[in-house]
Amino acid sequence: MKASREWLEEYSDIDVDTIKLGDILTMTGSKVEEIIEKGKDIKNVVVGKILEIKKHPDADKLVVTKVDVGTEKIQIVTGAKNIKENDIIPIAKDGAELPGGKKIVRSPLRGVDSCGMMCSVGELGLDIKDYKDQIEDGIMILPSSYEKYLGKDIVEVLNLREDIIDFEITPNRPDCLSIEGLGRETSASLGVKFKNPRKNLDELKVEDKKELEGLRVDITAPDLCYRYVARIVKDVKIGESPEWMQRRLKACGVRSINNIVDITNYVMLELGQPMHAFDINSIKGKHITVRRAKNDEKIITLDEQERILNENNLVIADEEKPVAIAGVMGGLNSEIENDTKTVVFESAVFYGGSVRKTAKQVGLRTESSSRYEKGLSPENAMRAANRAVELVELLGAGKAVEGKIDVYPTKQKINKIKLDVDRINSLLGTSISKDEMIKILGNLDIKVEDDYVVSPYFRMDLEFLADIAEEIARFYGYDKLDTTLVNAEATLGVRTKEQKIEQKIENVLVNSGLSEIYTYGFVGQKDLEKSKIKEELVKNAIEISNPLSDEFKLMRPTTIPSMMQILALNNNRKNQNVKLFDISRNYRNINGEVEKGEIPLEENILTIGMYGEDVDFYTLKGLIENVLEVSSVNHYDVVKETNNNSYHPGRCANIKVGIDVIATIGEVHPEVLENYDINKRCYLAEVNITKIVKYSKANKKYEEVPKFPAVERDIAIVVDEDVEVGSIENIITKKAKRLLKGKKGLEELKLFDIYRDKKLGEGKKSVAYSLIFRDKTKSLSDEEINPVMEEIIKELEEKFNATLRK
Amino acid sequence: MEEEIKKIKDISISEIKNCSSKKELEELKVKYLGKKGELTLVLRGMGKLSPEERPVIGSLVNKVRDELNNLFVNKEKELNKEELQKRLKTENIDVTEPSKKIVLGSLHPITQIIKEVEEIFLGMGYEIADGPEVEKAIYNFDKLNTPPDHPARDIQDTFYVNDDIVLRSQTSPVQARVMEEKKPPIKIICPGAVYRSDSVDATHSPVFHQIEGLVVDKNISMTDLKGTLEMFAKKCLGENTKIRFRPHHFPFTEPSAEADVSCFVCGGKGCKVCKGEGWIELLGCGMVHPNVLKNCGIDPDVYSGFAFGFGVERIAMAKFGIEDMRLLFENDVRFLKQF
Repeated sequence: MKASREWLEEYSDIDVDTIKLGDILTMTGSKVEEIIEKGKDIKNVVVGKILEIKKHPDADKLVVTKVDVGTEKIQIVTGAKNIKENDIIPIAKDGAELPGGKKIVRSPLRGVDSCGMMCSVGELGLDIKDYKDQIEDGIMILPSSYEKYLGKDIVEVLNLREDIIDFEITPNRPDCLSIEGLGRETSASLGVKFKNPRKNLDELKVEDKKELEGLRVDITAPDLCYRYVARIVKDVKIGESPEWMQRRLKACGVRSINNIVDITNYVMLELGQPMHAFDINSIKGKHITVRRAKNDEKIITLDEQERILNENNLVIADEEKPVAIAGVMGGLNSEIENDTKTVVFESAVFYGGSVRKTAKQVGLRTESSSRYEKGLSPENAMRAANRAVELVELLGAGKAVEGKIDVYPTKQKINKIKLDVDRINSLLGTSISKDEMIKILGNLDIKVEDDYVVSPYFRMDLEFLADIAEEIARFYGYDKLDTTLVNAEATLGVRTKEQKIEQKIENVLVNSGLSEIYTYGFVGQKDLEKSKIKEELVKNAIEISNPLSDEFKLMRPTTIPSMMQILALNNNRKNQNVKLFDISRNYRNINGEVEKGEIPLEENILTIGMYGEDVDFYTLKGLIENVLEVSSVNHYDVVKETNNNSYHPGRCANIKVGIDVIATIGEVHPEVLENYDINKRCYLAEVNITKIVKYSKANKKYEEVPKFPAVERDIAIVVDEDVEVGSIENIITKKAKRLLKGKKGLEELKLFDIYRDKKLGEGKKSVAYSLIFRDKTKSLSDEEINPVMEEIIKELEEKFNATLRK
Repeated sequence: MEEEIKKIKDISISEIKNCSSKKELEELKVKYLGKKGELTLVLRGMGKLSPEERPVIGSLVNKVRDELNNLFVNKEKELNKEELQKRLKTENIDVTEPSKKIVLGSLHPITQIIKEVEEIFLGMGYEIADGPEVEKAIYNFDKLNTPPDHPARDIQDTFYVNDDIVLRSQTSPVQARVMEEKKPPIKIICPGAVYRSDSVDATHSPVFHQIEGLVVDKNISMTDLKGTLEMFAKKCLGENTKIRFRPHHFPFTEPSAEADVSCFVCGGKGCKVCKGEGWIELLGCGMVHPNVLKNCGIDPDVYSGFAFGFGVERIAMAKFGIEDMRLLFENDVRFLKQF
């Protein structure tokens, strides 16, 4: 909401400069977005008169002029075409400043001294549309009567100086979308009297009529239209509105149309009540009905667009058709024309929620709708209607018709709130006296009667004691509030188990050289395809009904595409050795939760993505093992996975606790790499942190450091290539466990070599282990271990067709 | 005999003195003191001496042997030292050569800010709470005093899945969930991703991060809010940081405020980051609206509370001097490694 200082001064005596005023208002809650100081940047530009124009000796396109600037006669060289002798024009003298920081200095032009510049409308920072008799690419020619101002500052002569404050008004204060409301805030903020220049409107009595000039009004949707006031003016002479009115409208960013339309806008800006004016002759049957639109009912609005309505929209209709979309925009069919003689002023109040939805639906957010949607006061509607008629008479634009039509089915509620001084002070942490509270409220035109705060009609936002507390705090001064610390029952600030695990995982990853990334939770259908995500998972993706674009359409059911995008970006930028991780969520609508209005499954997922020289499947596996170790997941299996399309079928594993997959790791499928234009092997891991937390069992207990020596045995066996070392280890471990009882056991099983050679035979590999046995109670003897080794070897021979390498 | 011993002694002493290696020294030791050493041979030859001479010569030999032994030990020490000196010289290295290490990774700047804030509030007895991102509209709006037709629903453009399910446009729904589950005293912060229908540019992103704070108990006041935030600002942004409250409006708090902090880049003098104003808009806050308390099953006549919420990206950008928000989500490893 823009307001000129000049207009605000009608409401309060402002005794500070505009910048200071802005600061004060910001601190009391009317946040100033911007202060525009018009004309302030024009300096040393005066009214001058051209005495003489001569040809330039050395340039065909230039002329040399002599100009009277009041105090002296100066020479100016110019290329202007539209000037003639005796013209009165704005002259920027030597040392002048123009909008945009342009400075004028005396200097020769093609060898002839020029002591200033003649200004165009644009050079003075003015809008050519406001000076219709001027030309855009020529010098501004002032009326000859301005000769009396010769030498005077152009800013004063043209009255260019104006301060405009642009406020950010919060949605709870529609009353401040008016100069009157802002004036009230200004007075209270400066501690000066609110001059209340429209007081007469509160006292004015206008007779109620059923019919006015043959016009009748009915409301068939009282839930959407709280009040409809109509007043009529006749013998209307459509013309321009006076300069002062145009100027105020312009300061608020509203263009002048004609006197009647300008009055409706003026009243809206002044009092905050949107108005509509229409020609009584365009109302069929002179009967207005405020009703719900019919489905597919059409109206062409003032902006000449056809709008299709439905029964959720409220319209102002005559006996045939809608003439306006209530609260949003008038219809072209009832527009004020130049020959309009009788004008109906509509001042109505509609239910904000409905206006908001309608404006959104038809895609028209207007000055009017943005006020209505915040909820306006029906009481104010009457004032506005009367003010419009008053202005018509003031401007001599027509004659008021006595009486009004006032249909007011839904009366405005006035709230009464007990002024609980203690509770307010307790909420604010202050000790403000009751008298001071009453005084602050009084400055805002809020009355206190018998210890009850009565909300004035223009303050529909005051409902609770907290609202009153805010009013008091605002003018007591937020800056005067103390700073105290919560003095309450002690609470414990500790991280949850999940948060702790997450933190440990982050540490392991960062210490292993991985950098954390942040990705968006949404992906596009294409991303899922590029990453070859399984159909059953794709089905779980949640679709956003109003996405920004197709790429941001789905809540991802898996984090793979997000990681692939980032790997691709880094690869594309030729970044070497990239190791990344992301702890974020996937979102899965597994059982149609969102359709039932329930929230879907969200799991916390660690995603790792890597490529580079020192990275392969086993570095990734090691990393994951460390992640599981710090998370205290002690028992898990690494099981080959050949069916996950995003991964290389020969280089992918699931990590399982029982049958529950807690992680998938592997090399990215070459086709996926191709889809992302990545020319090197990449490795991916998805680790389900939600599940890790479930399986995390931190029960560390001290075990005595061994006192007795161990027995170490090495074996090397030759097996077929496709025998997994994991299964060999399973057999060895199980067998050893079965054979050794009590405190004896296989303490460590270490794979120390895998060897392939033609001599071993095609498709064979040699696997070498070192086995460390120990008895915790005494030294182990060879005699105890030899038979165990024999049994183990025998078992390996049987199970894997292994041969012992000697 | 005596002369012979003396001769051995003199020769051996000079030989030991002139000896220049441990090997040579060992040979000399064998030569004089070994089983067949010269001095040992003298002792063996004592049988030929008269009983009167034996003790005299014996004691002389022993004396010389002790003396030589001492010399050998000292000489060995001396040689050891020399040898070590030599070795140390050859083992000189260039300490400025590159190290061998696992290059560390990095936490994302957003995480770093979140952690810093979490530590401050954990220290003040707050718990860290969490909630769904795909959220019920009722938690994102209705319970927070923003019924369906409320104009505030327009302030932030929300992504909808359907009429009932939205992508949370703020972390505030976590407040409502916690209040429903727990009895006061409640002291929580909730960091997390939020979604708003803003196109990606240098200062906007459809996904960004907020940290929400909530305290509900008896006698919680607005000065407590101001004090808490001042404490937070000092710890997070520097001990000299000042805080300023301006009245504002949020549907879920009343009274509401916007809190500015003195610019932590220029200290309040005015710079590019604070746009010359000396203040940076940090967060929105206020006393929990009585309707919100009521909606979440807490009696507003008994309890009061405060809440605040702010954007993490803005702080990260100001603190690290990042001018384009897109960098945070682009994840170029050359960017990430700087943190």
